[in-house]
Amino acid sequence: MNGITDGLKDIITKASLAARGSSLSRIRRRNLSEPAAKWVVQSRIGSEVGYALSIVLATSGCSHARSEKGGCTMCSYILDGAGQNVPTEDLIQQFQNALTSLKGLMAPISVKVYTSGSFLDPVEVPPEARAEILKAIDEDDRVRQVVLESRPEYMTDETASLVREILGDREIEIGMGLESADDGVRSLCINKGFSLSEFETALKTAASHGIGTRAYVLVKPPFLTERDALLDALQTIIAAAELGATTISVNPVNVQKHTLVQRMWSRGHYRPPWLWTVTEILKESRDQVASDVNVVCDPVAAGKPRGTHNCGKCDDAFVKAIRQFSLDQSTSHFEVLDCGCKSQWSHVLEHEDFAQLVHSLRFHIP
Amino acid sequence: MTEFLIARGHDGPARIGSYSMGEMAISTPVLVGPSHADSLTLHYAALNRDELLKDTPMIVAIPGISYSRLDRLRDYDSILLPSLIADEILGLTAGSLLLKQQMSFLKEQQIESSGAIVRVPASLDEGSFVHVLQEFIHMGVRAAAFRFDGDLGPSDYRMVTLRSQLPRNWFALAIGRIEPYSVPLMHYLGFDVFDASRAFEAAAQGIRLWRTDAEQVADEEPARHCACSSCESQPDLNSLSNSKLIEILTNHNISTYRMVLSESIHAMQSGRLRWLVESLTHATPSLASFLRRVDRGLYSFLEEFTATAGSSTMPLIGPESYNSPAIKRFREKLVSRFTPPTHKRIVLLLPCSARKPYSDSKSHKRFARTIESAIGLARHGIAETILTSPLGVIPRELERIHPVAQYDIPVTGDWDAEETAIAVRALTTHLEKFEESVVVVAHVSGGYLDIVKQGEDNIRQALIYTSSDGSATSGASLDLLDETLRDMLELVLDGEYRRTDLEDTLRATADFQFGSGAGELLVPEDASLRGKLYRTVICQVDKEQVCAYNAVSGMLSLTLAGARRIAGLGQNWVRFEGREVKGGSIFAVGVKEADTGIRPGDEVIVIGQDERVVAVGRSEMSGIEMCEFEKGRAVTVRHKLGVTT
Repeated sequence: MNGITDGLKDIITKASLAARGSSLSRIRRRNLSEPAAKWVVQSRIGSEVGYALSIVLATSGCSHARSEKGGCTMCSYILDGAGQNVPTEDLIQQFQNALTSLKGLMAPISVKVYTSGSFLDPVEVPPEARAEILKAIDEDDRVRQVVLESRPEYMTDETASLVREILGDREIEIGMGLESADDGVRSLCINKGFSLSEFETALKTAASHGIGTRAYVLVKPPFLTERDALLDALQTIIAAAELGATTISVNPVNVQKHTLVQRMWSRGHYRPPWLWTVTEILKESRDQVASDVNVVCDPVAAGKPRGTHNCGKCDDAFVKAIRQFSLDQSTSHFEVLDCGCKSQWSHVLEHEDFAQLVHSLRFHIP
Repeated sequence: MTEFLIARGHDGPARIGSYSMGEMAISTPVLVGPSHADSLTLHYAALNRDELLKDTPMIVAIPGISYSRLDRLRDYDSILLPSLIADEILGLTAGSLLLKQQMSFLKEQQIESSGAIVRVPASLDEGSFVHVLQEFIHMGVRAAAFRFDGDLGPSDYRMVTLRSQLPRNWFALAIGRIEPYSVPLMHYLGFDVFDASRAFEAAAQGIRLWRTDAEQVADEEPARHCACSSCESQPDLNSLSNSKLIEILTNHNISTYRMVLSESIHAMQSGRLRWLVESLTHATPSLASFLRRVDRGLYSFLEEFTATAGSSTMPLIGPESYNSPAIKRFREKLVSRFTPPTHKRIVLLLPCSARKPYSDSKSHKRFARTIESAIGLARHGIAETILTSPLGVIPRELERIHPVAQYDIPVTGDWDAEETAIAVRALTTHLEKFEESVVVVAHVSGGYLDIVKQGEDNIRQALIYTSSDGSATSGASLDLLDETLRDMLELVLDGEYRRTDLEDTLRATADFQFGSGAGELLVPEDASLRGKLYRTVICQVDKEQVCAYNAVSGMLSLTLAGARRIAGLGQNWVRFEGREVKGGSIFAVGVKEADTGIRPGDEVIVIGQDERVVAVGRSEMSGIEMCEFEKGRAVTVRHKLGVTT
């Protein structure tokens, strides 16, 4: 059995690499002193509502995506990066540029530092750059919460204590992509490259320094039926909370360029999750997870063919409800949602498991 | 113990049968749907996800990646083995691995193999499939499910190709999207279960499915009239609530599936399934191109199960018929098995007639009178040859054999390019079998005449046209034929002639049924023939009957003596396990080996353990089926060796 699974894994890794193709070598050259992206939104910070500044630093990108492992089957965030090693001074400059967006905002503020990979990876973000950026955050008293993002292998005891030292007693969360609590799903369908126990170790290391974990949960990796995906995400959220995650970020797959998922999607072999699936997951998990763990969701490309979507008529209402829920954790926003497409979704849940036919709506509309 | 039994009868690969799950036996072909589809008899569910209906056997799908609690399975459920959705993106190697994974699942979970259903991966090469199937057969698995996306494109075609590799006694499920109009095609291709779930999907999309098309029930436009009980209960579909509308549409859609399936079963039982499939190709261009691709690519699969006998009319209406297995096979067998008698000095080409056999038609009766009055006994020196579409050419001797006596075509006198090409090729190939000194008299007009003209350059023999004014049956044309034949009397028909129609017919028929050379063995020079071609002709050699010609079937039935005469040809033999045959049938379980060329309806020779002919009879299945099947009647015995003491 193991030999067979390894064989399949190998095929998926190769398919993932093939989908990535030469895209990595064709990353557009950019101004290295500007971040890849930055935005400010209202956000839930602890039990209050404030503002969150998200910064995506342009770095050399995720080590897993750069490696011969081919990266994750649904992710090409690395293409937003710099495509080359970025010097320490430039990284600091990117961050300083982004910080100007906080001008005039009131506390509480949350600062989220993303890269197209791992903020704690010393190759991607040199330790000096990392320290300078954290110090810059520490200088702003309005900042109550800091969210960093990393693969679990970089969450070492040493790194955790450095981070804690600089940021003092602020609330710190490390965002880590668990994606699925099922090792089979994570390794085969996502090609994620680490096990549940490695994730758990990182989470415990962070916790020992008072650093919370924001667990990213993927909704509908490829090679799962709609109902496989629903159940897998739900079980993952529950498992992550039990492991000690402080926030759960639910991420419906959006179809990104140069990924295996895009190849499948363009041939009708993949459909992003229904919004019905996402709201069902949020509703169920909110009921089953301890109330001090926030479950949040900010779906990318929602309502579009490449993102989580329903029939087109009800998508806006669903997305609005999801955003409201993420702010106040109340499932009542979902109770008013209804649409004629619900029975199509129910049919998909039931029939895909039996027929293993991807119910994309490419066909059969007279 | 789960078991699939195939009942008697064939129409192409289509069959009827019975699938037993525990105490429940389900007649096949059958529709399958979700557990809430009350009007269906077979249901599916996903393990630990859908509720398993109490006490009713179901097809239970094991989820793809992680499964648990197999203890919920009941003994009588059939198990659809786990696989990966969308595996086609991963290529052929993944397909083989997924099959191996199913195999190890079966072993590790100790599932009763008779109830297991292999889930055939979407991408798989035929070679690996056949290889892995051997292992599944060894384990006792007897069922496989093939997934269709309903597009009738390359992926669906690949599934049909893989299905054609399945052992003939396996249970075959077509799951995914099977539109109602595809049901007869899937039945014809040898599937036993059709997924009717599209009924639910369509209803949820506000679509009403009809036999050959679909209707979007919209607010603004009045819906079509439908007399089904579901629709009649609600005269105004547009005024219904969404949930009520879905319920009404679901019931309607399932009714459509049930109606089409019933139509398909009936067509199969009356030998007209191929016609039904052809007629439905007008539902969509993709269905038409699918059938053409199947005819081209899977001819040997279809042909193996296509009967060589049958009494019902065979309508051949459009281009889909030109290469249907029964027709193509006839043309090929005529080329390989027909040898013209050496005493034929003239080939007389005649047009076909709507009435079959041709001799019974008014036009052919007039031709016969003209010929007889013109040349009398010398008429036996003429090889009467009928031109027709899409069979090509028919020697008079074979006018009663299947499907010549059964086919029916729309006659307008206009031939399309493809059927003309088929006929030209058939004619020129046929004439190559005659000596160069033979004279070809073409008593044809219109489209038939065009065929001869197009073939002229490839005809070695002298060619005379005798149809003067656009009609072969006009007085003037018949006069010209009369005159021409009289001239021939001195030029080519100058030998001694006697009546040879009985021996010509029986020999040609014997060659056609049992291969070249059978005619001379069964009807040697000293044979005595008695009877009428339009009824029965008995052939005796040394006062012992060897065969009889039956005008209804146009075929010979052998006696044991006849079988002994041709056994050496190595055709149509069935090797029987025992020394002697008891009862009126030979069952597949008793067949050790059989000629792979045997087709349902063939006259077969049963050879016993000691190499003796022990019986003759009619095959009920293909030769390969006789070997592969563990159950079922293989041969209906006509004569058998007396019980030895």
